[in-house]
Amino acid sequence: MDARKSSIAIGLIVVTTVLIIVAGLLPGAKMLSIDTVLRALVAPDGKIESILVWTLRLPRSLAAAIAGAGLAVSGYILQSLTRNPLADPGITGVTAGAIAPIVTCFVLLPWVPGAYYPFIGLAGGLAAASVTFWVSRGGNGRPLHLALGGISVSLFLGSITIYVLLLAGPQSTALLFWISGGFAGRSWSHLLQMLPWVAIGIAGALALHRVISMFSLSDHAAAGMGVQLNLWKPILLLLGVCPVAGVAPVAGPVAFVGLAAPHIARLLRPRGTAMEIGLSAAIGALIVASADLIARTIAIPRELPVGIITALLGGPIFVYLIQRGRLDFKGEAA
Amino acid sequence: MTTRSAAIGQPSPWVLPAALVLALVSFVAAMFLGVVDLPADDIAAVLTGSGSPEARSIILDIRLPRIATGILAGIQFALAGLLLQTITRNPLADPSLMGVSQGATLTVTMFLLFTVYISNTDSYSVVELPIGWLPAAGLAGGMIAGGIIYLLAFRLDLTPLRITLCGIAIGAVLHAIAIGVIAGWGSARIEIILEWMSGSLYARTWDHALFLLPFTIAGLAVLPLIYRPLILLQFDAAVARSFGLSYRKQFSLVLLVSCALAASAVGAVGPIVFVGLIVPHLARFLAGRHFRLVLPLTIVLGAVVVTLGDLIGRLAGGAEEVPIGVVTALVGVPVLLALLRKVP
Repeated sequence: MDARKSSIAIGLIVVTTVLIIVAGLLPGAKMLSIDTVLRALVAPDGKIESILVWTLRLPRSLAAAIAGAGLAVSGYILQSLTRNPLADPGITGVTAGAIAPIVTCFVLLPWVPGAYYPFIGLAGGLAAASVTFWVSRGGNGRPLHLALGGISVSLFLGSITIYVLLLAGPQSTALLFWISGGFAGRSWSHLLQMLPWVAIGIAGALALHRVISMFSLSDHAAAGMGVQLNLWKPILLLLGVCPVAGVAPVAGPVAFVGLAAPHIARLLRPRGTAMEIGLSAAIGALIVASADLIARTIAIPRELPVGIITALLGGPIFVYLIQRGRLDFKGEAA
Repeated sequence: MTTRSAAIGQPSPWVLPAALVLALVSFVAAMFLGVVDLPADDIAAVLTGSGSPEARSIILDIRLPRIATGILAGIQFALAGLLLQTITRNPLADPSLMGVSQGATLTVTMFLLFTVYISNTDSYSVVELPIGWLPAAGLAGGMIAGGIIYLLAFRLDLTPLRITLCGIAIGAVLHAIAIGVIAGWGSARIEIILEWMSGSLYARTWDHALFLLPFTIAGLAVLPLIYRPLILLQFDAAVARSFGLSYRKQFSLVLLVSCALAASAVGAVGPIVFVGLIVPHLARFLAGRHFRLVLPLTIVLGAVVVTLGDLIGRLAGGAEEVPIGVVTALVGVPVLLALLRKVP
């Protein structure tokens, strides 16, 4: 695809996402008709429909889309940085690294205000990612090491999380819904809390797309083209963790989006790294917005965690990528 | 003894006896130490058939079945890990990394959901949970997950690396579904599943030990049959075939044994992570490359690690004991990361 086609593709996906979000305003415990929704959107009043649309359904759908965009970009950065097609916030342990300290704070240190959770998540995510990257030699080791190191870090943190949940007693049900990833009852304040982190991630990735594209060649090539590895690697890692740190306190882990969205974007072959980043973000938004819609309409009035839907969508993609040989593994034994 | 083991390449002949002694010591410690302080002579009296009724019930109904379940589960996890690592030629293979544990988690969750929570929407009322059926449910799930991995791996003739990755992916999907099911049913009574998911020997009875026993025996009994294939499976498929090994058949057999061992253990005690991963490495560290020694050492050390881990969990947490899965994760991860760093 050339630059114009790529832009059109991004535009189309964004429009589809908006349509999904609007469609998502209709169903729920109380079904609304399309003109009621449109009227409530254009001219909000104090009626129940307007409250449903503006305070319950719109913020959560928007939050889903933004979270999806953030996670997709995070996955894109991590994949480029490590040149490992498997890298994503889940597999590198970043998500678990963000979740475990937040759960621990929530249960054991309840006086920590929720506004600090993204920072806690950021610190935890960075720490987990650093361990994973240390194990995989900064992404230069075998790809399997990154995956296994990250999974082990995740398992480790996951068992701590579960233990803390055990200590939590009656709170554990609510927490469990959160750690399975979901957007139920997310309000505008949640959205605003998450937005800057995602925005930093996406804007930073777009601004640094040249550096990112050099990194995706190899460390040597990047260094040869004048990229200061010691400076940019940590910055890119920080950028990659940022969206997750913002999304995790609000939505919990949303599995596989960060993995699948960049791969789908690359399959469409857009022109240039900037377009790839944009396309990844758009696709991520579309995936999570759709998954959220499915999660809350499939069993009205019950709601499923969105993480199940994304895992069900993303898992097969992952397996497909592995067995189709879409992923190249350096140094794979025959 | 320590000076002799320093000789490179030749493991000390005392490694195995030392491990056995360590095993014995840890079992005795696990029996004598606990939250309830029982006088040592009382415990000794129970073992010879007398003793106070209080000590009798604590030792015979609580500690002994727990220790027995732990030993059997430890042996199974360690053996399953060794087999998986050998056939996938991947030093990091482990049942809890490759989807077996997650499959078991999912079926146990579904089982609880359908038997208890659906019929009983009033989430606070106390119903007797069908605990006796949990191991069987877990076994089924672990085997199904193993089967999926097997099908994927063999339909497509994947390399061991890709098999491992498929296992990870399948595990992640199954885990997500299990967590979702738990969160989705909206019951307040999720402690049972949480306790189970973190891997615990809490309140294990003789039933659990009896459930595991046939699997342990079968797993150990099949070892002489698969011993030679196992050694050949350490090589590439081509090399192994050139030695006259029917690669596919033996690979499937070992995978089946490994899945059955891991799945039944997960069913009985929940996913005790990292035992299957760490213990074979520990054995290799002590015994070098001598598979003849690594195999029995893995079995003994598996029992030791679980017994000691459970003892630590029991003593460290006081009344709120720390699940052994948490203990093994805390201890296992540093070992694992160091390992990962060492593997070129």
